[in-house]
Amino acid sequence: MAKTAQEKIDAKKEKEYYKKHKKMYRTKPGDVIFNIVNYLFFGIFTFTCIFPFYYLFINTISENELVKRGMINFYPMTGSPENPHFGAMLKNYIAMTEVGDLGTAFIVTVTRTVIGTALMVLASAFVGYLVTKQEMWHRKFFYRFLVITMYFNAGLIPWYLNMDLLGLTNNYMAYIIPMIVQPYNIILVKTYIESIPGELEESAFIDGASYMVVFRKLIWPLSKPILATIAIFGAVGHWNSLQDSLLLMTGNSSLFTLQHRLYNYLNESSNLGTLMSQGVSGQAAQQAMEQALNSKVIKYTVAMVSVIPIFCVYPFMQRYFEKGIMLGAVKG
Amino acid sequence: MKEEKTEKKSLQGALFVIIRALTVLTVAMIFFPIANPAKVCGVISNKISLFTSAISYNSLLPSPVRIIRSGQMDEMVIIIAYIGVLIAFIGILGIAAGACCSLGNLKLQRLGFIFSAIGSVVEIVGCVICYVAYIEVQNGDPRFLKKIDPEVPVGVFVYGIMAAVILIATIVLIVTMPKASKDMRYEMESRFKLFLMFLPFAFLAFLFSYLPLYGWRYAFFDYQSGGTLTADNFAGLKWFTYLFENKMVRSDVLNVMKNTLGISGLNVITTWLPMIFAVFLCEVGSMKFRRFVQAFTTIPNFISWVLVYAVALSIFSTDGFINTFAVQAKLITQNEAKNYLMGDSLVWVKMWGWGTWKGIGWSAIIYIAGISGIDQSLYEAATVDGAGRFQKIRHITLPGLLPTFFVLLLMAIAGILSNGLDQYLVFENADNHDKMNVLDLYVYHLLGNDQIPLSTVVGMFKSVISIVLLFMANGVSKLLRGESIV
Repeated sequence: MAKTAQEKIDAKKEKEYYKKHKKMYRTKPGDVIFNIVNYLFFGIFTFTCIFPFYYLFINTISENELVKRGMINFYPMTGSPENPHFGAMLKNYIAMTEVGDLGTAFIVTVTRTVIGTALMVLASAFVGYLVTKQEMWHRKFFYRFLVITMYFNAGLIPWYLNMDLLGLTNNYMAYIIPMIVQPYNIILVKTYIESIPGELEESAFIDGASYMVVFRKLIWPLSKPILATIAIFGAVGHWNSLQDSLLLMTGNSSLFTLQHRLYNYLNESSNLGTLMSQGVSGQAAQQAMEQALNSKVIKYTVAMVSVIPIFCVYPFMQRYFEKGIMLGAVKG
Repeated sequence: MKEEKTEKKSLQGALFVIIRALTVLTVAMIFFPIANPAKVCGVISNKISLFTSAISYNSLLPSPVRIIRSGQMDEMVIIIAYIGVLIAFIGILGIAAGACCSLGNLKLQRLGFIFSAIGSVVEIVGCVICYVAYIEVQNGDPRFLKKIDPEVPVGVFVYGIMAAVILIATIVLIVTMPKASKDMRYEMESRFKLFLMFLPFAFLAFLFSYLPLYGWRYAFFDYQSGGTLTADNFAGLKWFTYLFENKMVRSDVLNVMKNTLGISGLNVITTWLPMIFAVFLCEVGSMKFRRFVQAFTTIPNFISWVLVYAVALSIFSTDGFINTFAVQAKLITQNEAKNYLMGDSLVWVKMWGWGTWKGIGWSAIIYIAGISGIDQSLYEAATVDGAGRFQKIRHITLPGLLPTFFVLLLMAIAGILSNGLDQYLVFENADNHDKMNVLDLYVYHLLGNDQIPLSTVVGMFKSVISIVLLFMANGVSKLLRGESIV
């Protein structure tokens, strides 16, 4: 767009002002030092956030014998200990797929993350929409009934006994059903829906649409940004949850989540190679596994298996961070 | 004439209220183990509710299974009881559907009556079958009767009577209500429609947030897992006083409180760190570098504590990065390698450090957003007036962020008893247990040691104090800022 005459004059004046007060804007030596220190601090801190994961990763793709001797520090290496050279391999990850219980743990974790998150998002969107409707019978009471659950907690034991009472111990459903109604997410969605112009909905009602149709055709598509946000947080929560698996699934190890398995491996002091090779049949295969996997590498590889998915979705998540946290600051 | 009509109307209204209230009561009751109609003898666990027994036959079985195996009791009894309770459960679903329909128009109401009538009849049938199971128990081998301990299933009468009342009320309504005309459509007022759509979710919230409070009753009994709650082992406030009077427990609790408050205290007094982090990050000139830092410092927040522990192991354990690197650089010998995760020195600081490493980038985001919301003309004006970098930070940025900081500080104080379980669970080991044992971990270990009543008591104290702290924080916020935070 073309600048108006006034704007041109303003710009010129501003330039002149800067010229006149150049001294004030000059970089001072103090600033230089400040910048160096500042950049250095953030550089180092960021490094501490990245390096551990990088370190884990290079150890899992290096020759296991070298890892055992602690020779892998900054870049992956393969070859014999006498003659190591730069290189990488995926042997450990392929070996992981042969360990029976890790496969089931992976499937359990992935399915609970997908199903649990989908149901939670659906429920949050729907309830979030319902509680914006002023005409609902005793709306205020029921909204408070939901929201107040954020602030109290019966405690670990009553929670456990309650799950037991509902038949949700050693039951896959324990991962899904309790997570469906999340008051905090409902508040986020409600706040968002309230910001959508009401006229849209009104005109849909005049055209004879029912609540369900309005929700499906109007509210759902319009509130996608906030739904993406809660979906991300929900999925991360599901992926990372340890406590429910640890406490509720004591009688059925095939329902352990990946985090629970990892926790067990990290705590296991005995020779893990033996433990894990039980998933493979045959004496020779077992020995091969034992040789291939020493405990350190197993731990690292399992850790990488559970961290890689988070790194994969992370770039997509980032877009929604700020939105989520800022909306969270607005109370419902 | 008119008076008669209104009288009739009010009678019908009262009947509707009775039906709905009884239905809600029935539905709520099926989750409570009291008055389970399937509990026909003493050997059936008295911890299972009608709901639990109806959804799985196996829940009824475990306690009597030994007696059945030894041939002292016929498994048929349990099967009959199970069939009874299942039928009753189906009946309850029917009356629930009927009560929902009763919120609609006349036509829908009449449909609802059919549900209610059939449902209550089915429920009564279920109760009768349960009673048959009870009679069967009594007819069992008299030698073993004392062991089996037949028990009159109170639930049969409770549910039966409620169902009967619903049935009578429904029949009266069917007779007195006018018939719906054929061309009438099923309709319901939108306020009830919305309410019914909302109901399943309110129900879930009830099941998973309110129902656990019922578990607080364990605090008043001498309970061991697998045992029962009866009048015999009612302990009153024994466990509450035990907490303070038993020397061992008292010293444990004191230690736990010291750890909890110590670690939380460190967190509270460093609540300002993310703010400073954000302020200085915003002083970084290069936008690219700033984005880079922000992207990677938030990653640890999305990693579970188990993974953080894996990371910690890979860096700080005996064969971790620091030791192997030092050995290779000939700074230390192989024998001097040491595991930094063991040992009980500086445990609080270490835990605080891990928490900060994990959370600071994430917590800074809200402040960064806050800084970008500050009016830029303020900075320009300050520059013109000759303010330096730190003066601007002190007089513009920090005051602008103060409200946010204040809220987060109050929240941190309110959450002083909740350290979370995962972090301490994964980092705990024999060496550092005494300094690591925070409230959440303590409760978890009590559960593991089968000290259910005691850990319930501790959990209750924690919950109550937490909520009091939260409301106090809210009160302070209202007083100082005129704004509530919850």
